[in-house]
Formats: sequence, C-alpha cells, structure tokens
Amino acid sequence: MTDSLDTRKMAMSGAEPLVLLDGISHAYPNGKVSLTELSFAVHPGEVVCLLGPSGSGKSTAIRCVNMLEPVTAGRLVFEGIDVTAKDVNQVEVRKRVGMVFQNFELFPHMSVLKNVAIGPIVSLKRPKAEAYDLARELLAKVGLSDKGDVLPSQLSGGQQQRVAIARALAMQPDVMLFDEPTSALDPEMVGEVLAVMRKLAEEGMTMVVVTHEMRFARNVADWVVVMEDGRLVEEGTPERIFEQPRMERTRAFFGKLEEQDGVLPTG
Amino acid sequence: MIARTVGFEWDAFGSSFAPLLEGAVMTVVLTVVVMLLSVPIGVGLALLRLSRHKVVRAIATGWVEVWRATPVLLQLFWVFYVLPALTGITLSPFLVAIVAFTGHVSAFLSETFRAGIASIRPQQRQAALSLGMTPAQSFIVVVGPQAWWRILPAFANTWVSLFKDTALVSTIAVADISYIGLQLRQETFMTLEVLTAMALMYLALGYPQAKLADWLERRFGVKE
Ligand SMILES: Nc1ncnc2c1ncn2[C@@H]1O[C@H](COP(=O)(O)OP(=O)(O)OP(=O)(O)O)[C@@H](O)[C@H]1O
Ligand SMILES: [Mg+2]
Repeated sequence: MTDSLDTRKMAMSGAEPLVLLDGISHAYPNGKVSLTELSFAVHPGEVVCLLGPSGSGKSTAIRCVNMLEPVTAGRLVFEGIDVTAKDVNQVEVRKRVGMVFQNFELFPHMSVLKNVAIGPIVSLKRPKAEAYDLARELLAKVGLSDKGDVLPSQLSGGQQQRVAIARALAMQPDVMLFDEPTSALDPEMVGEVLAVMRKLAEEGMTMVVVTHEMRFARNVADWVVVMEDGRLVEEGTPERIFEQPRMERTRAFFGKLEEQDGVLPTG
Repeated sequence: MIARTVGFEWDAFGSSFAPLLEGAVMTVVLTVVVMLLSVPIGVGLALLRLSRHKVVRAIATGWVEVWRATPVLLQLFWVFYVLPALTGITLSPFLVAIVAFTGHVSAFLSETFRAGIASIRPQQRQAALSLGMTPAQSFIVVVGPQAWWRILPAFANTWVSLFKDTALVSTIAVADISYIGLQLRQETFMTLEVLTAMALMYLALGYPQAKLADWLERRFGVKE
C-alpha cells in the first residue's frame, strides 16, 4: 500500500477532496445494477482517469457526479457538501461541473460561438456581450478562433470536440468530466483533442476522464481508478497501476487492450 | 326551377367576388386564430404526454385520442348543440368554431410535437442540463427549437388542411367563404358561377400555402 510509487500528491498535501464518491450504488430503471459501492476521491487540481472494460460503469459513475443519474445508495460529496441530500439544488451543482460527451453533443441549431456562449447567457444570466467575449477567448484557446460563425456540422469531429470543451469551460467550472472524449474520433483527430486536455491539466484544472487512451492516462493522470462490473478493482498512481498492477482483473484488462491494438504504454 | 345547363354568366361570376372576399377574411381569421391557440396548447399536451407521471400521461393521451378519432363536423355540432345543454354555456357560432377547431387541431399537433420532441437525442437535453440549465430552459433553448425545425413540414401540412377544413363552419352559420358562397348560390341560382368563384377563392389563398408547405418539406423534411 505504501511503496513510493503509490503516494498521491494531493492526498499527501492533506487537501479536502473536491469530489468524493463514498460507496455509491446505482441501478437503471430496468433494474440493471451498474454501480456497486463505488468509492474514490478527486482532489483539487488532480486529473483522475477512470479505466475499465466496456460496461464496467465508467460513464454511469461520472454521470452520477453530474447528477444526470440519481445514486441509489452512498454519499456523493461535492465541495464538502453531500449532494445526495434531498434539499440540494442539482442545477446549482451542475453549474460548477463541466461535462464533455463522447459524441460532442454540440447544439446543431446554433453557431459555434453561440454554443460556447449559451451556458453563461442562460444559466448564469451573464450579459450577452460579456458571454460572447469569453466565448471568443475560449475558442482561441482551443485553436478555433476563425470558426465562431459556422455551424457545428461544418466542423470535423476533432474540432467539434474542442468546441464542446470550450463550451464546458465557459461556465468556469470547478471540475471537468470527460466521457471518452476521443472515442468517436478518427485516429488522426485524437491528438488535437488530447493536446487541449493536456493543456487544461497543466493549467491546474481538476479533471475526471473516462478514456481508453492509455498513453494519456499514463502521462497526464495523477490518479487512476480501474473499474469492472460496477466496482472498483484498484486505484493508484499511473506508474504503479501500469507497472505493478496488483489485481488479476487489471492485468487481464491491460492484456486485452494490448491484444487489440498494442496501446499499453510502458515507462 | 329549370336547371341551367348552358351559358356562363360572367357578370354574376364577377360580382360574386366582393361578398366572397368578406368570407375570405373570416376564413383567414379563423385559420390564424385557431393556429395561434393550437400551437401552445399542442406543445402543452405533447409535454403532458411525455410526462413522467402515469396518470397525467393517461389523461392527456385520452383527451388527444378522443379529438383525433372523431370527425370535425361532429365536434363542431357537439360544441354547438351538446355543450350548451350540458353546461349552460352558449357560445356564439364564431366561438364554437374556434373551440371545436382548436380542440381538433391542437390534438393533431400534439402528436406531431410529441414525435418531434422524442426524436431529439436525450443527450442533447443532458448537454443542456450539464451547462446548468433548468429542465425548462433546456427545452426552450435546446430541445424545442430543434424539434420545431423537424416538425415544420408536418406543421405546414396541418395548416393547409385546417385552412380547407374551416369550410365546415358554414354548417353553423359562420360567414366564411363557403357560407357566403352557398348563400349566394341559393339567392341567385347562379350555381356554376358562384361555385367556380368559390373554387378560385380557395385556390388563390390555398395554393401559395400548399407551395410553401412543399418548400418546407423539401427544405427541412428529409434531414438525417
Ligand atoms: N440507459 C440504460 N439502461 C439500462 N442499462 C444501462 C443503461 N446505460 C447503461 N446501462 C448498463 O449499465 C452498465 C454500465 O454502463 P456504462 O455505460 O456506465 O458503462 P461504461 O463503462 O461507460 O461502458 P463503455 O466503455 O461501453 O462506455 C452496463 O452494463 C450497461 O449495459
Ligand atoms: Mg461509457
């Protein structure tokens, strides 16, 4: 448990977790149990990567953090507040949590610029001029200054996902959730999106990232959580998880990935 | 009475237009007022039918099915004769027409709207929610507008049907094109001339609407 590879910067510094999943369970309305007593913490400024085979509950877990799915048991603590309590305003929590979807989910009937500005305008009641200025700034940040006036459908997948990241950032969230942000992209576009995410991580953004990009997890994550079948298999620093996986199921998962496309990064 | 089989009285034909034009105003007013009422009511019914609560859903669905499954002519007569007998409320023929047609058209539109709203991927709503929008804001800003473009062609067709169906109000003495035309025919016996003038009147007003509906169908109908 305590070898040098396994020390967690943030936990060591004693910071309170920004997000804490404390034994949460979840089931879909059809009765399908998707999470069983899942616990892990995300500290401010940390990048936590969620790994695991398809159907292991990674998407459900981060959708619970965003309260798009209701947890059936356990506590979900956000910024020190138990948001599973009945009197918590979900809308206020979501204003502080950014989300990036696998299929971008840009609003097809709005220009790219409006997509980025709409959150602050509608949810935060910001003056339009201010929201559009911020939106232009963020489009520049993701390298799409010249695309503000076009519709999302006129952009490539990689560009759309960068706009989606800018849209989430426009709310100036305390944490960003990414659900397989590069899985729907052609291989040649994966890099541009990961580069934006890496830049965000360097700037100190707190991020929870569901991904199959092992190189990204290895190089950018501060903490890796491996899931299977709705449960936590193991967690640790990327060095420890990738080099000395303790659980047979983690090894099996990595083995399968390697078989598929030899993506497992070493060293 | 001798049925006139030959000859077309151009004078009678020409002089039919002035009174028919007054009827045309009534037809257009009816169509527009019914639509203005039916769109918000139709959206409301559609949302009730998509409600999470079973009872709400059942009631809304029942209401819509009743209006969809019975003929407008019957609905018109029902509001005209039965409603006053049941409730003691007597409406003017014009209001009867508005109530009956609004009931009918809003039920049809609610079905169109419901399908339109259901056709928008749930992830779009989730994306709006995750930007901190309330469920109502998500609908107004994100789901509603997308659904609107998708149902526009069907909506336009409903509009054209309504425009033509309003002819039925002549049966309860609302002075639309048909009522005035049929009165005129009775008074003058100029059946050929008056009916032809009526046809031209409906055509002049209806053709552009039908063409607009076609255009909307081509422009927005086949996406995805
Ligand atoms: N809407 C739903 N209704 C019922 N069951 C669902 C629903 N969504 C997901 N599930 C099930 O819940 C489990 C967890 O799904 P989830 O999408 O969270 O997994 P995941 O780890 O994100 O998988 P993937 O890598 O394929 O995205 C799976 O068994 C899945 O089939
Ligand atoms: Mg998933």
